Amino acid sequence: MVPQEIVTLLQVFLFPGFLFLFCLAFFSDWMDRKLVAKFQNRYGPLYTGPKGILQPVADFFKLLAKEDIIPIAADKTVFSVVPMLVLALSMTPLFLIPMIDYSALIWFEGDLIVIMFITTLVIVAMFMGAWASTNRFSTIGGMRVGLQMLGYEIPMTIAMIGPAISSKSLSVSGIVQSQAVGIWYVITQPLGFAVALICLLAHLQRVPFDVPEAESEIVAGWLVEFSGKKLALLKLSKNFELVLAGSLLVSLFLGGPLGFWLPHPSVYFFLKLIVCIFILSNLRALFARFRIDQVLEGAWKYLTPLALLQIILVVI
Amino acid sequence: MVAYDLAEGKETGLISWARAKSPWILHFNTGSCNGCDIELVASLSPRFDLERFGILQKGSPRHADVLVATGPVTRQAKNRLLRIYEQMPSPKSVIAIGSCATSGAPFNGSYNVYEGVDNVIPVDVYISGCPPKPEAIIHGLLTLIQNWGKKQRQQ
Ligand code: SF4
Repeated sequence: MVPQEIVTLLQVFLFPGFLFLFCLAFFSDWMDRKLVAKFQNRYGPLYTGPKGILQPVADFFKLLAKEDIIPIAADKTVFSVVPMLVLALSMTPLFLIPMIDYSALIWFEGDLIVIMFITTLVIVAMFMGAWASTNRFSTIGGMRVGLQMLGYEIPMTIAMIGPAISSKSLSVSGIVQSQAVGIWYVITQPLGFAVALICLLAHLQRVPFDVPEAESEIVAGWLVEFSGKKLALLKLSKNFELVLAGSLLVSLFLGGPLGFWLPHPSVYFFLKLIVCIFILSNLRALFARFRIDQVLEGAWKYLTPLALLQIILVVI
Repeated sequence: MVAYDLAEGKETGLISWARAKSPWILHFNTGSCNGCDIELVASLSPRFDLERFGILQKGSPRHADVLVATGPVTRQAKNRLLRIYEQMPSPKSVIAIGSCATSGAPFNGSYNVYEGVDNVIPVDVYISGCPPKPEAIIHGLLTLIQNWGKKQRQQ
């Protein structure tokens, strides 16, 4: 029998840990690009590896090898620290999500709150990066990042509290375990699921809500001055955010790695994750960009009352 | 990570593979009549789909590898072209699309143009045509990618 410490180390570094998460991030990026291309009647990446599956890897290494420019006017320390900070912050919550078992690698009562807190911290780090690069476009992008957060943060939190109330547990693993005996919360709380989906789309800054990096208005938004290694890390962290959004939806509303007939729970988790990424890409291909005031108005006028209504329905 | 294949005179290894597989382009109109721009956009659109080769269009010079310039460089655009070229992180390449960008074509001898991008910044690939077909643009981009390793060895 292998000692427990070695098993834990392997878990942290290989299977549900770093290596697996990197592969998952690259895979989700490829799938997203390919799906959007298919919706637009294109092929998408095709010649990089089989069906272009290595495209995100190629992008990542190319960016790592490029020149790394720090603008003269930038606040150098903050500018250099922010990409690493964003990457670390977007990767940490993934360890709290049960992927291969009913309980996550690390879990404790209240880790749902930690996840929400970290998703907010990511936004603050992005804002700092935008501010430190002292570019007029990135400053506007940074302001929009902050403004958008004021809009979607509250409904997202309320929507995620719904499953926590019905399962009487504040940890993601606890919520998954309570769905093992009951039914999936997407059936009892469809409103909450929809609100969480829309808010996560806004959190990911994807197309209907990509105001912070609106390419046709403010070049690349808050990312505009980042090049080379920093851009590679930021792109990677965006992919981690996509995986995190998908796996949050899976574990809070779709029953996590619960299945009946497949050999290993992680296969089931993986399939559900693909469905969630499919929905997110679908919305990205279907809609045009909203304005920032429309985002805020929609979030406060419609999403927040809907999320509250869901909570009231759950409590009753 | 970077090794030279002496027989082929090319850079080999992970980095050059990655570089050849994901060239991101930045489109800059240096006074074109919009014909070349439309053709470039057409080659990014579903029918020709440059993303097959991993080519994406980027908005910011800091993210791009290849500067795609269309049009004879007008006096007004010259400084901007220079500045955008300087803003791009190296290694970087330049493609001149259309007869105007190659030699100034109908504007040759005009008082307000520089008659070609190569009078301002070094150009790697010229694509002729007025405007060039999307097939020609794709061919030019792929020629550039295939010659990348060779160029870096000569320098
Ligand atoms: S080459 Fe022809 S199409 Fe292109 S910018 Fe010049 S005149 Fe216009």
